[in-house]
Amino acid sequence: MMDFTLNEEQLMFAETARQLFADMSGPDQWLEQMESGAARIEARWNAIAENGLGLLLLPEASGGMGLGELDFALIAEQAGYAALPDPLVESAGVAAPLLAAIDPEHPLLADPSVSIAIQHPQNPLVADADVAGGIILHRDGEAWLAAPDQVTLTPRESIDPFRRLFAVAWDTASATRLGQADWDLALDRGALFSAAQGLGLAQRAVDMAVDYAKDRQQFGKPIGTYQAVKHHLATAQVAIEFARPVVQAAAAELAHGDVQSRARVSHAKLVALEAADNAARISIQVHGAMGYSWEVDVHLFLKRALALTNSWGTPYFHRQRVAQRIFTQPTGPDQTFAREIEHA
Amino acid sequence: MKLGFSEAEEAFRAECAAWLQAQMTGEFADIRGIHTLTDMPERRKEWEQHLGKHGWGCIGWPRQWGGRDATLAEQVIFAEEYARSGAPGRINHIGIELAGPTILAFGTEEQKQRFLPDIAAGKTIFCQGFSEPNAGSDLASVRTKGRLESGEWVVNGQKIWTSLAHISDWIFVVARTEEGSKGPKGLTFLMMPLDQDGIEVRGIRQINGDAEFNETFFTDARCPADSLIGNIGDGWKIAMGLLAFERGVSTLGQQMGFRNELDAIIAAAKDNGAANDPLIRQRIAKAEIGLRLMRYGALRMLSNSDHSKIDGAALTYKIQWASWRRDLGELAMDVLGQAGEIAGGSAYEWGMLPNLFLFSRSDTIYGGTNQIQRNLIAERGLGMPREPRGDL
Ligand SMILES: Cc1cc2nc3c(=O)[nH]c(=O)nc-3n(C[C@H](O)[C@H](O)[C@H](O)COP(=O)(O)OP(=O)(O)OC[C@H]3O[C@@H](n4cnc5c(N)ncnc54)[C@H](O)[C@@H]3O)c2cc1C
Repeated sequence: MMDFTLNEEQLMFAETARQLFADMSGPDQWLEQMESGAARIEARWNAIAENGLGLLLLPEASGGMGLGELDFALIAEQAGYAALPDPLVESAGVAAPLLAAIDPEHPLLADPSVSIAIQHPQNPLVADADVAGGIILHRDGEAWLAAPDQVTLTPRESIDPFRRLFAVAWDTASATRLGQADWDLALDRGALFSAAQGLGLAQRAVDMAVDYAKDRQQFGKPIGTYQAVKHHLATAQVAIEFARPVVQAAAAELAHGDVQSRARVSHAKLVALEAADNAARISIQVHGAMGYSWEVDVHLFLKRALALTNSWGTPYFHRQRVAQRIFTQPTGPDQTFAREIEHA
Repeated sequence: MKLGFSEAEEAFRAECAAWLQAQMTGEFADIRGIHTLTDMPERRKEWEQHLGKHGWGCIGWPRQWGGRDATLAEQVIFAEEYARSGAPGRINHIGIELAGPTILAFGTEEQKQRFLPDIAAGKTIFCQGFSEPNAGSDLASVRTKGRLESGEWVVNGQKIWTSLAHISDWIFVVARTEEGSKGPKGLTFLMMPLDQDGIEVRGIRQINGDAEFNETFFTDARCPADSLIGNIGDGWKIAMGLLAFERGVSTLGQQMGFRNELDAIIAAAKDNGAANDPLIRQRIAKAEIGLRLMRYGALRMLSNSDHSKIDGAALTYKIQWASWRRDLGELAMDVLGQAGEIAGGSAYEWGMLPNLFLFSRSDTIYGGTNQIQRNLIAERGLGMPREPRGDL
C-alpha cells in the first residue's frame, strides 16, 4: 500500500519554510506591505533565496536539488499558511522547472533571487510579471521568453490584495523563442501547488478562528464554549484532514502525466481549495464583525483561496478532468485504488 | 386563500413605479444603480430630501408625521418598485425603519414633534449605537456610561461597527446609567447629536475595501436631559422593541433587490457561457426557488392581521434571507469565474456581483448572527432549554 510518511529531509525543508514565513510573513509584514504598496519585502525575498527554497524542484544540472513535487508541495503549503505575498510558488514550482526542461543552463536559472513569471493558456493574466527577471510566454504551443521591459504590462486589480496581476501584450519580435514546452506538466504543477497552498490557507483560517474563539467572551464565556461555534470549526478541520492525503498522493504521482495522475491533481485542487474556501468563510463568521473588517486579516485567506480556485484551471475544468478519467477508464471496486496497488 | 395584490394595490404600484422611474432617469440619474452605501453621500442626502418632499420618505408612518399611512402591502410594493427602479440603498434606513418607529412607539409627544418630521423629510440621518467592542451578540453587556449632570446627560465610552456614523446627524445609544448594574438592567436609550466635541467618529475599512462602519468614541459627550426614550432604566426594553422593527417589515421589500442581483447573475451566466454548465444551472434554479420561497413567506406574513404571529414569522426570516444571499454571493463568483476576481479599474473597487459576494459575508453577522438567530428560533420559538451561558 501507499506510504504517507514523509522523510526527514522533507520535514526539514518544510520546517525551514514554516519558520522563515512565521518570522517574515505575518500580520505586521502584511500590513507594512499593504500600506507601502511595495511589490515585495526585499529582506524576505532574499531570505527565501538564501535558504534555497526555490531550488527544490530544479534539476541538479541547473544548480538545483532535483527533488520532487511532494517536497515542494510541503513548501507551498507553508506559503499558504503564511499567505505569502511573494512569487515563490509559481516561479520555483512552475516557471523555473519549465525553463530548465528546455534549457538547463539558461542564465535566468543561475541566480535564485531572480523570479520568473509565467503566462499559461489557462490563466488569462500573469502574476508578478513586473518584478520578474523574465516572463515565459505562450504562443501556438511554443514557449517564448521576454524581460518585463520588452512587453507591455497592464496592471489588473485582483480581489487578493497581494496578488499582482498583469495583462501582457507582446510580439515575437521582442521576445526570444525557447521552443516546445510541456504546458500540461506546467498546469499540473500549478494546480497541485495551488492545492497545497489551499491546505495551508485552510489550516491558518481555522487556527485563527480557534484562537479567537478561546479568547473572545460573549455572555460571560468564551464563544468557543458554544456548540454552534465549535461544530463549525470541527467541520472545517475534517475537510482539511481529508484533503491532505489527496494532495500528497497527487504530488507523488504527478510525474506520470497520464489521465489517472491528472485526475488526481484535479481532485486535489478541488478538495483542498474547497476546504480553504470553507474554512475561511467559517473563520469570518466566527470572528463576527471583526472578520468582516479589513484589519483582521482573515479576509486575506478567503481572497487567496478564491484567487487560487480560479487559477491553473477553474473548478469546472478540473471536474471535467475527473469525469474524463471516469468515462474513459475501467471502473469497478478493483479500480478505485488501481495505481496504489500496482505500486505496493 | 387568495394570492396576489388587489386592484387598488396594483394601481399604487403603478404610481410608485412611474414616479421612481422618472426620478432615476431624470434629476437623479447619476445615483442610479450605486451598489455601496458610501458612494456619493451628498447627492444621496439630496435624494433623501427629495423623497421626503414628495411624500415618499417614510410611507408607512402616519400622515401626521410626514408619512402616508401606507398598509404593509403598500410598503412592500414601494420597496419593490424602489429596487426595480435602480434607486440607491437608503442611507437613512436606520432613521426610517428603526429610530422613527421607536420614537413613534415609545417617544413623548414633544420628541415626536422634534424628530419625526425631519426624519420623514430626509433632513435628519440617524445611526445605531448599540454594539461595543465587548458587546456584540451579547448586547446586554454594554459598558458605555451615561450620567445626569446639571440637566444634561454626559456620556463616556465607545461604540463600534456604527454604520454610516460619518454621514449621520444623530445617533441612538444604549448606555449604562445605573452605576454597578449588570446585564439588561440599568440601561437607558439616549438620542445624541453627533456634531459635538465629545464625539469622535473613525472609519473602519471592510473586506470589500469600503468603509461603511465606524468606531464612535464618547468623551464627556452631551445631550439634554429629555433626550431619553422611555424612562431611565428602560433601555433594554426599548432596544428590544427596536430590534423587532429591524427583523420585521423593514426587510420584506428587500426581495426586489435580491431579484435584481439574481437577474444580474443569470445575465452574466448567459453572457459568459456558465449557463451551459449543468451544475450552475441547477444552482441558479435553486436560488430562484429560494427567492420564491421568501416571496410566499412574505405574502403570507402580510396577509396575517394578527401581529403577534407576524413576529413569530419574522423570527425565522432573517436567517433565511441572510443565508440565501450569502449563497447567492458564492454563486455569483462561480458564475463569473476568473473575471470575478478582477476589479474593473485600477482601484480596489468592485462591481455589483463581486461586491455582493464580499458584502454578503456580513449578512450572516449583523442584526443577529446566524448562530444567535438559530438560538432564538430554538429557544424562544420552539421553547427548547437554553444553552448554558455565563452568569449574565
Ligand atoms: C456590516 C455590519 C454593519 C453593522 N452595523 C452596526 C450598526 O450600525 N450599529 C451597531 O450597533 N452594530 C452594528 N453592527 C454590529 C453587529 O450588530 C454585530 O456584529 C453582531 O451583533 C455580532 O456581534 P460581534 O460582531 O461582536 O460578534 P460576537 O458576538 O463576538 O460573535 C462572534 C461569533 O460567536 C458566535 N456566538 C456568540 N455568542 C454565541 C452564542 N451564545 N451561541 C452561539 N454562537 C455564539 C457568533 O454567532 C459569531 O459567530 C454591524 C456589523 C456588521 C458586520
